[in-house]
Amino acid sequence: MQQNKQANVVGMVAGTEDSTPLTFHVAVERDAYLQLDDVVVTVREVAGREPVMTCGIVTQVTARHEGASFDSDVFLISDGVLPAEVQETAEISTTRVEPECYVPPRPGALVLRATGDERAQALYFDQMQRKVPVGMGRDGEPIYLNMEFLDGTRGAHVSISGISGVATKTSFALFLLHSIFRCGVLSNAHNSKALVFSVKGEDLLFLDQINTRVDAELRGEYARLGLPAEPFGSVGFFAPPTPGDLTGRPHVSGRTSGVGAFWWTLAEFCSQELLPYVFADAEDERNQYTMVVHQVANRLRRDASAAGRDGAVNVDGKLCRTYEDLVELICDRVTDDETRSVWAGPAIGAGTSNAFVRRLRSSQRALGELIRGDLPDTPTRKVSTENHQVTVVDLHNLVERAQRFVVGVVLAAETARKEKAGPGGLLFTMLDELNKYAPREGSSPIKEVLLDIAERGRSLGVILIGAQQTASEVERRIVSNSSVKIVGRLDAAEASRPEYGFLPASQRIRATLAKPGAMFVSQPEIPVPLAVEFPFPAWATRLSEAGGVLVGSTNGTGPRGNGARPGDPFAGMPASQDPFEDPPPF
Amino acid sequence: MSPGQTTTTSPMRFSVDGWDVGYGTAMEIEDLTESRSEVHLDVEVPESEWRPIGPTAVTAPDAVLFVDGVRRIDARVWINEIGGEADTAATMGICASYAAGVVCCHADRAHVSEFKVRRGVFSTAPHAADIPTSAGTYQARHTESRPETPLPVALSSELQRRLAEVEVETAVAARDALADHGLQNDLLVIDGPLRDRSHLNRAVGYIKSHRSTYLPAQLNALVANLTPGQRTPVFLLGTSWERRTWYLRLPCEPGAPWAGVVRVEASAGRPLDEVIALANLTQTVLCRFASAEYKDSRAPQNLYPIAGLEKDLRHKLGDQQIMYRALRTAAMRNRLSG
Repeated sequence: MQQNKQANVVGMVAGTEDSTPLTFHVAVERDAYLQLDDVVVTVREVAGREPVMTCGIVTQVTARHEGASFDSDVFLISDGVLPAEVQETAEISTTRVEPECYVPPRPGALVLRATGDERAQALYFDQMQRKVPVGMGRDGEPIYLNMEFLDGTRGAHVSISGISGVATKTSFALFLLHSIFRCGVLSNAHNSKALVFSVKGEDLLFLDQINTRVDAELRGEYARLGLPAEPFGSVGFFAPPTPGDLTGRPHVSGRTSGVGAFWWTLAEFCSQELLPYVFADAEDERNQYTMVVHQVANRLRRDASAAGRDGAVNVDGKLCRTYEDLVELICDRVTDDETRSVWAGPAIGAGTSNAFVRRLRSSQRALGELIRGDLPDTPTRKVSTENHQVTVVDLHNLVERAQRFVVGVVLAAETARKEKAGPGGLLFTMLDELNKYAPREGSSPIKEVLLDIAERGRSLGVILIGAQQTASEVERRIVSNSSVKIVGRLDAAEASRPEYGFLPASQRIRATLAKPGAMFVSQPEIPVPLAVEFPFPAWATRLSEAGGVLVGSTNGTGPRGNGARPGDPFAGMPASQDPFEDPPPF
Repeated sequence: MSPGQTTTTSPMRFSVDGWDVGYGTAMEIEDLTESRSEVHLDVEVPESEWRPIGPTAVTAPDAVLFVDGVRRIDARVWINEIGGEADTAATMGICASYAAGVVCCHADRAHVSEFKVRRGVFSTAPHAADIPTSAGTYQARHTESRPETPLPVALSSELQRRLAEVEVETAVAARDALADHGLQNDLLVIDGPLRDRSHLNRAVGYIKSHRSTYLPAQLNALVANLTPGQRTPVFLLGTSWERRTWYLRLPCEPGAPWAGVVRVEASAGRPLDEVIALANLTQTVLCRFASAEYKDSRAPQNLYPIAGLEKDLRHKLGDQQIMYRALRTAAMRNRLSG
């Protein structure tokens, strides 16, 4: 042990810089090195007390020529003319002082590289009852999150920021989900679900397929984190119906089976008052037409009656089979002088109702495919997280207005369902481009839903995993309610905003050059964000990587087709990869 | 009581002079006014054939060692007499820190390969004893008092002598270390005159400033006309001790007639051809280390390695204020316990 300690000595606390309990400097020994994010520990004696151990993380490393006074001296020194020595110094940000006696480490005290238990102590892993691995630290050892800050026990919600393309926000969020579900510390894991909105291509439509690039090395990486290198076991996929197609085929190109189409019937649209979600762009209190929206929604709920089995409605004596029919009807009623006061509300002028009509009509193209009364109804069209552990809703083929509608309606429905069901299991909701749905300015029905989740979700059991390019453009209350903040590569201007105040100065600069796969994870218990690298996805992220639902080598021996494997909490549930395998009940 | 001996019963009583050490001792360090020396010019070539000698092709040494020392008077102390006069009579002494070191320039690296820091209390008082302080012990260095020499000068000379001793010690240690690495063919450059260090092999003394004129006037003109890298022929200088010496001009901006000229000396006890080889060697070796005007106020004579070494050694002497305070504390402690 003593010898081990000697081998771990990397230097001494430097006395040329102020040493404080929160920041101190280490002069690095000639044969040793310290890199950013290394974890170090130093112990000092305190009179009349037990020794105090100070642990910290390297947040800056500098090397200088001692004995040189001019910049050009370096040439003389390398030429062997001027005597000088190279000295490296590391700046340490304290993470933990144990016992809590905030005394500065003394210059000259030995500094050791923390390994094993000391590293766990330095990073508070020893205090975490339930640890979720989030990747490897720079030292190649696992970094953990405290599950209690993810599952609502002490905190909830994750906010991930970073530039599109290089920050790998979605990949990291999925890895986090995989880790949460498979690390074995989530209580009620069999009852916990994830709802994933996919806005960029069909990348997420292969989550249940093993990645063909999974090899022994990658499996080893997962194993070191205590995770299986396997795809998600139970995944339901939903995509909007193909435009112009009357059979209800999902609008996807890469994946040919296992994806269900989703839409809402006109009857649901009327009875569940979904009209406000059509107007989901930022609401302005000064806009009179928003009053009309709520009035019309109320009217539809009361006047519409279902017609037939496919969700068509009869409103005010007129049959509507398509969204266009319904829009026409509403426009008629709110512009007609006789019916306007009933439909648009009393004292609504023609100008206001015209503003409403203009906006309603413009929604036809976006929502015509999603609100239908002309497709054969099937129970599998409803987006629901009930039947799968992970539910992917593919939005990438939808225009922005339709994306907002889907996100708003699905989230509201799932939140309501969760509220009714009680906090038994958790629902992790992963939403990219949060700045679009919950912008800092203005209010909208979706933003209300998201705010509700952010503020009450912890007690409801709905956990938001939000991703955005710029946290500065997201509603402040959502970001501040996130216990876990994660940052990938950032734009230099963005990195300097106060939203990233949790990053020390050096990490802000580093975030502007973070590589794909490198993230900074900040959690409430650890005062310094930790740099992690997460392994390559074990699931396919595109068609060319898809290696089948089950791979024999991953010790999966369950029946082919339903993704069941030993330890899978969904084993034994009805086979549901393809909602269309069973013939519809008509 | 013999000098340097410490008594356990009553520690040496002394007090630290409150005046800054810069006052009152502004005497020159040693008797620099050398007695008019004998000069023999017909050593390398006859006097009539004196011409500037250009650099020749030489084999560069494996390593060049530069030796230098620094000294600093930390405080002036008054050492109380023993016995009845203890409170009325005292002898002056100086507490000094001094250090010597060696820069080894080998391959592409120059580094301080050896250094020694000493602290001493220099006094003529026979009962002067070591002064242990919180910042180190000042060892008693008894100095003989000579009626013809003022006391400060005597103390200062003794300090210089001790420093020279340490310089030799470090030089020898550095050489031994080199030999351990299999490097035999080195050149030792000692900052200042060789004096009693002439027994060292392959060693030259390097004198930056010229206090006396040794050459006849017409040959002085020859020195003024040396171009960078050129040297005068070797000549013999005899004062209290003999040495062979030559002038060498280092690369520098044109300026005063003697700008950039240094005098290099070698032991007279060595064979002449060996000395001439050394002279040829210095022409190539020393020019490489000459400093640039904007980097050193004593350029080009203050060679880079020596400047770097001095800076390093001064740093290693420690903070003077701390040493001064430690001495005062020790004085007070001795007074109280005595």
